Amino acid sequence: MFPKKRQFISVLIILGFLVSACAEATPQATSEPIVIKETVVVTEKEEVEKIITPTSVPGRQTLVVALSDAPVSLDPADHRIRNSETVIRNMFDGLVTRDTVSSVHNELAESFNWIDDTTLEIKLREGVLFHNGTEVTADDVVYTFERIINENMIDYPEPHTSPRKGLIAPLVSIEKTGDYAVVMHFSGPWPVAMQMLVHQQIVPKGYLVEVGTEGFIGQLIGTGPFKFVSAEAGFTEIVMTRFDDYYGGADDLTPVGSACVKDVIFKVIPEASTRVAALLAGEVDIIQMVPEALIPTLEQTPGIQIKSTPGTSPLWMEMNVTKPPFDDVLVRQAMNYAVDKELIIEAIYGGKAVTLPGPLSPYNSYVNKSLQPYPYDPEKALSLLAEAGWSDSNGDGMLDKDGQNFSFTIDTIERQRALAEAVASQFRAIGIDSSVRFWEYSVIKPQLQAGERFAYLDSWGDSAFDPVGHFEAKWHGYIDGSTYGRGNFSLYNNSRVNELIILGETTIDPEERQAIYDEAQQLIYDEVPAVFLILPEVTEAASMRVLNWSPASDGRINLHDVCLEP
Amino acid sequence: MKTIKILERVLVAIPLMLGVAIIVFLFMRLSPGDPVDIMMGREGVVSEGEIEQLRAEFNLDEPLHVQLWLFLKDAVRLDLGYSYVQKQPVTLLIKERLPATIELAFTAMFIALLIAMPIGILSAARQNSVVDRLSMASAFMGISMPGFWLGIILILLFAVRLHWLPVQGRLGVEAQLDTVTGFYVIDSILTGNKVALISSIQHLALPAFTLAAPVAAVVARVIRSSMLETLRTDYVTLARSKGVSETWVILKHALRNALIPTVTVVGLQVGVLLGGNMIIETVFSWPGLGRMVVNAIFNRDFPLVQGSVMVYAFTFVTANLIVDILYTYLNPKITL
Repeated sequence: MFPKKRQFISVLIILGFLVSACAEATPQATSEPIVIKETVVVTEKEEVEKIITPTSVPGRQTLVVALSDAPVSLDPADHRIRNSETVIRNMFDGLVTRDTVSSVHNELAESFNWIDDTTLEIKLREGVLFHNGTEVTADDVVYTFERIINENMIDYPEPHTSPRKGLIAPLVSIEKTGDYAVVMHFSGPWPVAMQMLVHQQIVPKGYLVEVGTEGFIGQLIGTGPFKFVSAEAGFTEIVMTRFDDYYGGADDLTPVGSACVKDVIFKVIPEASTRVAALLAGEVDIIQMVPEALIPTLEQTPGIQIKSTPGTSPLWMEMNVTKPPFDDVLVRQAMNYAVDKELIIEAIYGGKAVTLPGPLSPYNSYVNKSLQPYPYDPEKALSLLAEAGWSDSNGDGMLDKDGQNFSFTIDTIERQRALAEAVASQFRAIGIDSSVRFWEYSVIKPQLQAGERFAYLDSWGDSAFDPVGHFEAKWHGYIDGSTYGRGNFSLYNNSRVNELIILGETTIDPEERQAIYDEAQQLIYDEVPAVFLILPEVTEAASMRVLNWSPASDGRINLHDVCLEP
Repeated sequence: MKTIKILERVLVAIPLMLGVAIIVFLFMRLSPGDPVDIMMGREGVVSEGEIEQLRAEFNLDEPLHVQLWLFLKDAVRLDLGYSYVQKQPVTLLIKERLPATIELAFTAMFIALLIAMPIGILSAARQNSVVDRLSMASAFMGISMPGFWLGIILILLFAVRLHWLPVQGRLGVEAQLDTVTGFYVIDSILTGNKVALISSIQHLALPAFTLAAPVAAVVARVIRSSMLETLRTDYVTLARSKGVSETWVILKHALRNALIPTVTVVGLQVGVLLGGNMIIETVFSWPGLGRMVVNAIFNRDFPLVQGSVMVYAFTFVTANLIVDILYTYLNPKITL
């Protein structure tokens, strides 16, 4: 395949050139030379001293961020893509926001008060201005949420309902109770309400009613630290400028006040090696989605900083529990013991990932702390397989049972190529004939749901740090026509686990919830519908000129806090 | 007479375009993958009700022939629907992206001809010389080097190492440009913006050269071989025997006839340049049509794919038509 080859070759080439570029980069900037020591492997190891200076374009005061893919819309109510939100959250604030990890902080909201399990009273911060100078009131907040939950509220290009409705499905209605107070009514107790409110941003009612959606997306008005200036067709480039009357954002997240940089450009550079090259050439200051293979090289490149934070997309290899050989729990356990996750993390992710202790991310607020990742133990794997009837009876080096070799295909998508191939090779090492097949997700998904395949390796993202999202989608039995089990490709369906998942979704008390989720995780851990693999970190890179910058778990690129060294 | 012939050719193009429209329509719908599913994101919390609603919104719940009829009915009025994903009219999206692609393609063609013409002629004139062998060897390289590889190499050399040219995009951050036509070089000249002119030419250089390399190689080889053939014809021998200088023989007598097959190849290459630059556009982050189509295909954004392919088909048909017309001027013996 063309693109795969392209990626591979470009990575190889960039690696080669990076090494030479690092070694002899021409001094361009006025900064002082830095003397660094590096080890160059020629025929034997020797210490070589070289003089290197960072080579960014001096003096550019516009901050340029390179995105990996384009937002689809900048209307906060009309998208379902993470990168749309990444950009939007610099121009629009929500009632609440999230820090770089998992905590929620008040933004436009001043306080929250749960009147009962399904009624939430919100007091708004007073004196906050939209970019057009009007003040944020309860009317704007009511309108924002009604625009999402009511049907056909978005009138361009044809009337349609907000694709973000599902993210706030339990919200039944919202009413104004004062100039700066609203009350939300939910259909039932919703413990993740706060985490989910992070993903909805407030829009100006008066302006939107006046200009309509078409006018609004042509000239966006929000309350965020940056004002919209212009956008290229297809959002390949979005220009913003500082909003000097910004109220300062969350009080408990420093710095407050208006943003540090004046002008900001988001630019889409889809090809990973081009993003890296643009950073090295000083054309961009921050890049998203650094390819794993380039992390070690970039880490040693002067003038470049590379940072990571816990990710929110764990990786599993789900096994079809309805079909042999994976209908046998012993086999599924054996598969877990057969994978050396630590080795994979070191070799493929440059150490920037952690092993999964079970069905949830170790950073999840309700992770079962008593669970330990399945250790790498090929002996144990083989003995479990022998117990299940799989052994090398004919001496050909492959496991077999009833005259059939243990053979299966791991289905995956291109993005997980390296991991899937590593996992397959570890299965082969213990005598399981496993191969990898690459698909387009939209093509394989219906086959997985129909139970036609054997094993599927992929990630599933959920930035809420709460078990609700992953449990509902991955570990609940599939219920047609609902959102339950919509990503459950192991077809695992345990009635007790299902029961616990439903219970957890509507239980407010944190201790009770912990007990519920502990039990559910233990059950899934024991029955292992998947090989619990790893959780990669979110890694971004930036020029050394960028100060006070850190990547966020939920993918937000918060430019309010960032400064650019002159 | 010629006008009527041209008109005839234009009319023949109409059923051709219709055929393309129907084929693209059917192929997109026959390929697996549900646009609504993709639209809501991989992990999206979506209820069946929302999915049904979206299907109805895009007429995806109608039988195939009804969908086709709705599409064709609008298409003849140049209404190509709106993009499922970007929620913008397809014609608008194409209109905004097309100039970038055309600008790149024509610059590449210009560069390709600039390289290929002298090399081709010189190789023919000095057949089997060192010059000939060297240039034909580089032509082989030009054809065999994949665009993404050459692109990355050029980026690393000229942008990352030497800092002579930019890595990606159409215009530098420092340049501000009011767009008039969408062709940045032309717009810069029209608005008298020197900074933008320099910046846009610098940004064009690497992607245009990368795109031009294989075309230059093909064209140089065609010019060489047709030139060689022409140089062996009787009228060239006659011209030589009259004592006309060799340069004059080549440029005046041989070149014009040697150009006829070249024009065919160049015409076809225009189509290749416009339609085959998805990879180059991706490597150089060039915001053109190719990049948009690739994304649209992965998103199963039917209207956007259909609309863009229609544009491609239109350019191919037009390029061929222009080639045919040019023929008649280059060689009056050929009629349409």
